[in-house]
This record gives sequence, C-alpha cells and structure tokens, in this order.
Amino acid sequence: MIKNKKILVLLSLVLVFSLFVVGCGKTEDTPGTDQPADKAPEVRDTLIVGQGADAKILDPHATNDQPSSRVMKQIYETLITQNEQMELEPGLAVSWEKVDDLTFEFKLRQGVKFHNGEEFKASDVKFTLLRAVESPTIGHIVGAIDPESIEIIDDYTIRISTKNPFAPLLAHLAHGASSMLNEKAVAEGGDDYGQNPVGTGPFKLYEWKSGDSIELVRFEDFHGAQPKIERIIMRNIPEGTNRAIELETGAIDIAFDIAPTDVNRIDENKELTLVRDPNLSTAYIGFNAAKKPYDDVRVRQAINYAIDMDSIIEAVYLGIGEPAIGPLGANVWASHRGLTPYGFDVDKAKELMKEAGLEDGFKTTIWTNENQQRMDIAEIVQNQLKAINIETEVKVLEWGSYLDGTAAGEHDMFILGWTTVTGDPDYGLYPLFHSEQYGSAGNRTFWSTPRSDELLTLGRTTADPEKRKEYYMEAQEIIRDEAPWVFTWNGENVSGTRNNVRGFMQHPAGHHKLFTVYFE
Amino acid sequence: MHKYILRRLLLLIPVMLGVAFIVFTMMYFTPGDPAAIMLGEAASEHDVERLREEMGLDRPFIVQFSTYIKNLVVHQDIGRSYQSKKPVVTAILERFPTTLKLAALGVLVAVLLGIPTGIISATKQYSIFDSASMVAALLGVSMPNFWQGLMSIIVFSVWLGWLPSSGFSTPMHMILPALTIGTSSAAIITRMTRSSMLEVIRQDYIRTARAKGQKEFIVITRHALKNALIPVLTVVGLQFGYLLGGAVLTETIFSIPGVGRLMVDAIKQRDFPIVQGGVLFLAITFSFMNLLIDILYAFVDPRIKSQYK
Repeated sequence: MIKNKKILVLLSLVLVFSLFVVGCGKTEDTPGTDQPADKAPEVRDTLIVGQGADAKILDPHATNDQPSSRVMKQIYETLITQNEQMELEPGLAVSWEKVDDLTFEFKLRQGVKFHNGEEFKASDVKFTLLRAVESPTIGHIVGAIDPESIEIIDDYTIRISTKNPFAPLLAHLAHGASSMLNEKAVAEGGDDYGQNPVGTGPFKLYEWKSGDSIELVRFEDFHGAQPKIERIIMRNIPEGTNRAIELETGAIDIAFDIAPTDVNRIDENKELTLVRDPNLSTAYIGFNAAKKPYDDVRVRQAINYAIDMDSIIEAVYLGIGEPAIGPLGANVWASHRGLTPYGFDVDKAKELMKEAGLEDGFKTTIWTNENQQRMDIAEIVQNQLKAINIETEVKVLEWGSYLDGTAAGEHDMFILGWTTVTGDPDYGLYPLFHSEQYGSAGNRTFWSTPRSDELLTLGRTTADPEKRKEYYMEAQEIIRDEAPWVFTWNGENVSGTRNNVRGFMQHPAGHHKLFTVYFE
Repeated sequence: MHKYILRRLLLLIPVMLGVAFIVFTMMYFTPGDPAAIMLGEAASEHDVERLREEMGLDRPFIVQFSTYIKNLVVHQDIGRSYQSKKPVVTAILERFPTTLKLAALGVLVAVLLGIPTGIISATKQYSIFDSASMVAALLGVSMPNFWQGLMSIIVFSVWLGWLPSSGFSTPMHMILPALTIGTSSAAIITRMTRSSMLEVIRQDYIRTARAKGQKEFIVITRHALKNALIPVLTVVGLQFGYLLGGAVLTETIFSIPGVGRLMVDAIKQRDFPIVQGGVLFLAITFSFMNLLIDILYAFVDPRIKSQYK
C-alpha cells in the first residue's frame, strides 16, 4: 500500500508542478486579447495591431528593420516627415532653407518635449546626427552629412552640411533612422537604451513583453494634436493566417501584411475592411554580369523575353501588386513610366540566344533565399527557360549564406527585392546599379556602364529637380536596355482592419502612422 | 545518494564546457556573417567591417572563444544579443517561464491521457478499446504538430469561436497549444505504457498475485504498474526535456513567445550570443531533467536506489 501511495504521490507531484508552473507568472491579460469575439468592449481607447515579427530594438540607430521601425514611428519624430504621397512636410523642423550647395538651415519647432520631460533643442539634433553618422547599422543613410560642419546657430536654429552636394538630403532626414533622440536619455539608458526609448512622438513605451507584444501609451505632453486612442498594443503574430484569424475573431483591430492567400477572405468578410496601397518595393531577378554568359547583354535580354512575368505574378502573388516595368515603383519620384516592357516572346529570345552563339543553351543556377514566393518564382523560371534550352538548377539558401554568396559573386542568377524607402530615385538606383556599390553594398549584379555611373552620380549631386529627373529617366532607360535585371513585381501594402477602425492610412514605406487612428 | 547527486552535478561542468565549445565552433564556421545580416542587402564593406569590429568578430577564433569562456567562468557573463543588445540571460529568462508553462501543460496532457490509456490497452489487449487507442496513438505520433495546431485553430477558434487562436496570456489561451503539444507525447507515452505493462503482467509474480486471489485492480495498480512505470518515467522525462527545448512550430503557430522561437530567430539572424547562451541553458535544463528522472527511479524502485552509491 505504501508503494502505491508513492506512485500516487509521484503522479500528484507532476500534476501540482504543472499547475504551479501554469499558475505562476503574471496574470494580467493583454487587453482585448482575452475578449471573446462577440463581447468587444463598448468604449474603445486601445488599438490592437498584429504584425509578423516583434521589434528587435527601439533605438533608431541600432536597427533598420520593418517591425522595429513600425513601433518607432509612433515613439519618435524626424525633422522632416513624408506624407502618404511621399511629399516632404515639416516635422520637428518648421521650416528649412538652402544656404549654399552643401548647407541647409533648419528652424526647429519650439515647446517640444521629450518623453522624459526634456525640451527638444538644436543640441539634440546635433547629438542625434553625430550618433547616427557613427552607427555602423544606419550610418549609410546619413553618411552624406559632414559631422564637422553641423552648426548650432541658437537653441532653435541649426545648419547641416554635406561633404559633397547631396540632393536627396531632405528625404534622408525624413527616414526613421534620422529620428531625434535626447542626449540625456541615451546617456542614462546606456546599453539598455533600446529597451527604454525616449522620443518626442505622440506615444511612449509602456511595456514590452519580449516576443509577444509592445504596449504604447499616449504622451500627454505631445506638442501636436492628441491622438484619440489612449493605448496601442502591437502584437507579434508571425503566422499570416493567424493574423487574419485574429482579425476575423476581433482579437485585433488591424492586421498588417495580409498574405495573398488571405486577401479574399478578408475582403469578403462584411465586418472587415481590406486596405490596399502600392508600396515602394520592387522584386527582381538579377544576373551576375561579371560571369559568362551573363556578361553578354543578348543573353540577359533573351531571358527577359523568355519569362512570362504576367503569369508568374498571377500564380505567385495572386493578383496583389503589379508587374514591374522598371527598377522603380510608380510612387517613387522620377520613376520612368514610359519604359517598354520586354514582354513574353520566346521566338525573340531564341533569336538573341542564337546571336550570342548559345543556340544550344547552357546550364545555370538561380539562387533564392527561403522565401516561399521567391522559391515559387525560381521554379517557374526554371521551367520557362527550358524553352530556350537553358537548364536551370534552383538553389535555395539560408539568408546569411545567400547574402554572403551573392556579395562574393558566386551566383549566376538570383532573386531579391528592394524598397526605395525615401521615395527618392537615388535610394532606389545608386546602391543597386553604381559600380562603387559592387557586392555587399547592394550591386549584386556587378553590372554598370560608365554612362549610367555618371548619371547616377549627377542625380545625387545636382540640386535642380528638373535636371535630376532627366538624369534618372536616362539611367532607367539604360538599365532597361542593358537588362541586368528581369523586373518582376511592384508590391502593395495590404492590411485588414475591423470596420469600426477609422483614420488608418498606409504609408508607402510601410511605417504606418497609428496616432491618427480612432474608433467609430 | 547525496554523493551520487553531487557527482552528477560536478559532471555538468565539463559537459557545459564541451557544449560551449561545440556550439561556439559550429556558429563560427556556419556560413553567414552576423554583421552582413544585420546590415541587410546594401551595406558597404566598410560598414560591415566596422560592425564586425564593434561585435568583436574580427578577432581570431581562439581569442573569441577564450574571451567567451573567461567571461562565462570568471564573470558569469554570456554577453549581449547582437540584435536587441539585451543581456543574453535576460533575453532567455524573459522567455523561459512561457516555455516552462507550455512544456508542463503538454506533459500534463500527455501523462493524463497516455498512462491511463496505456494501462487499459494492456489489460484489455486486443479489445476494441485497445485497437482504437493504438490507432489514436499512431495518429497522434504521425500528425505533424503544425497541421494539428492549424486544424484546432480552424475548428475551435474560427468555426466554434470557443478559444482564442494566438497568445498565451490566460488559461483559455493555453488550451489549444497544450493539447497540440501534448498529443504526440501522449501517443508515445500510451505506447510505452502499454508495452511495458504487457511485459510486466506476464511475469510470474503477477500470476502469483492473481493466484493469491488479489482483486485485478490491486494486481494492476500495486504489482504491475509500479514496475512498468520505470521506462514510462524515462519517456516522460525525455519528453519534458524535449519540450523545454522549445516546441518551435507550436510556438510559431500560436504566437507564443517561448525559448524555441527566440533560438530559431537568433540562428536565422546569426545572433551568436543568444544561440550560445540558449544552447547552454537548454543543456543545463536537460541535464537537470535527466538527473531528476534518475532520482525519481530510486523513489519508485528501491532496488535502483541501492545502485546509487
């Protein structure tokens, strides 16, 4: 009997331990998440948003990833902002003027408070920009600024100069990486600043449950119009389908990045609204132009003709986004909308292959990382290239190896994407097509021409917008004709909202403002 | 017994050093530069080099490893995450309670389902219940966790609307993940309990007990189960240890912020300190779990206790 008791005690121990473990820890619930779908609270002052990954760190100089940027957008502000049409608007700077080819003078907004109560002044701007330039992670975004020449005129006036003429400076100052920080807060935060961010934005960090959610609370001393909502909870829901289900069941109010497979479900649900807007991304298939036979423009063009891009878009993206006709999406300034697409023409492709002496085709590889859509595209391309006798092997690499391999030029063809977050063509062309940028710096096709180099340099150093536009138009024509890429797809931002959500507008760069949102 | 436990604990030290060395070496030689991954598709070589220098990745392997071991042994410091800049210990401990809850609930489901089913199956061998439970166990073992998780979300969250589909903050949130994670373990435990019981109930002493006129319930619970439980305990312990390692798929499907997802994200991002710290932590947890099971053997079967000297 005693031994039986021991077994009972053992089993009881397992039970008690399990219950203890379940019972321990915090018991407070994430507001809204424990509400059954049909019992949503009447007065809503908390907005719950689902996105596909948790923020990494909330220090704008330590990361440039989308999930972190989306949270930081609510916490920090920049000197200049870009609205949903990518037009520049005053932010923490109320006005600016050009002093000379290298220098801008900014008048700063007065009476702006940081979340720690400190007042925002020109010294904060100088501190922020010097820190940003030093950052290996985002330094390249503000790399044109000459740190030596940042000059504080008075508490609310500052001059910022670049080392060389740099036309897109204002757009770069509107980038999240240029968000304004407070020196005292950064010093006090030390190594942990990224978990204790201090900005001037309409929301401040309240609680960060690592991997689960980030809760922001309204900043009562915000200098602008107070948001109508009091709290924002940004939940981390990695599975796209799960985000859609959470939206359907009312556990979240907005779901970012609705997967193409879930679009119809959201669209057909009468309680939900599907929000679709073009974003600034372009997907592409690149050729390694430093390698044979891709050093021959005819081979690159032949492959462009041999790929039926419309059918790929339909099969892979299920009608989301549109086929790309050039390296820049339609909402990037100076995007060339008059470029002639190659179109699907196998005969023309065969003719070009013959001219290149490759009538019998060749063996090649196409690289992609573990991205389902890119893997699907690779397989379709593999199949379509058989028509011109190209035998293609699909190589799926893990992201780190993929970046290393393509930077080292080990690849033949590869699939990648790029987002021109500043909305300026310099950001979307220079890193990807200039000869200075070969390899890890962005130009993984190792393609350039002296003329396109010249045009891209002129584009970034010329102040006159009309001239810049001309340079970029010509550069895009060269890129189209020289075909270092097969232009694939311009993406869309696709979100879903509950019908009672108002004031939600998507930003083309994907960093959507949530402080304008309210409930009906 | 105490000496045995102490010896096992001391053995942990070389095990940990070995684990640290293996993980460090594997991460070092895995393709994919952490600095390049952090900086993305367009980062100049100069920026990548600067970041590598800042992270200490430009130093030779032996220098990096000896610094790591020195910090571990002398300062009990296993570094900070490359990505979040958080101390590794903080990053892991933030997630561990969730993983512990999930694993404990999974094991609870597995034990409550598996042991009784296994016992009944063995005592009613070749009955309908036995066949049905073995088919169910086969299904339980064969069903991929992610599929079962998604199906349960569709049925219980979408169609019936009874349970939330993601998160882990309230008991209601825990039901579906616990069932998902517990089912395959339950199936393994059922099969193990059944085969172990079948072996035991054919022993002479069981026949003797029956010949004495003992009630069948007493024969099974007092004489058979106790002896059949040893291999089952091993399986329960291993399953618990395995679940503590993080059930990545279940955590991903139900958006549960556990150690498994932290580790997988860290591996993808080449966040070496988190991976190294995480593996060390899990190795310690697993070793403790094994030790606990060994101690429990002695508790269940005094014959084993006499060997622990």
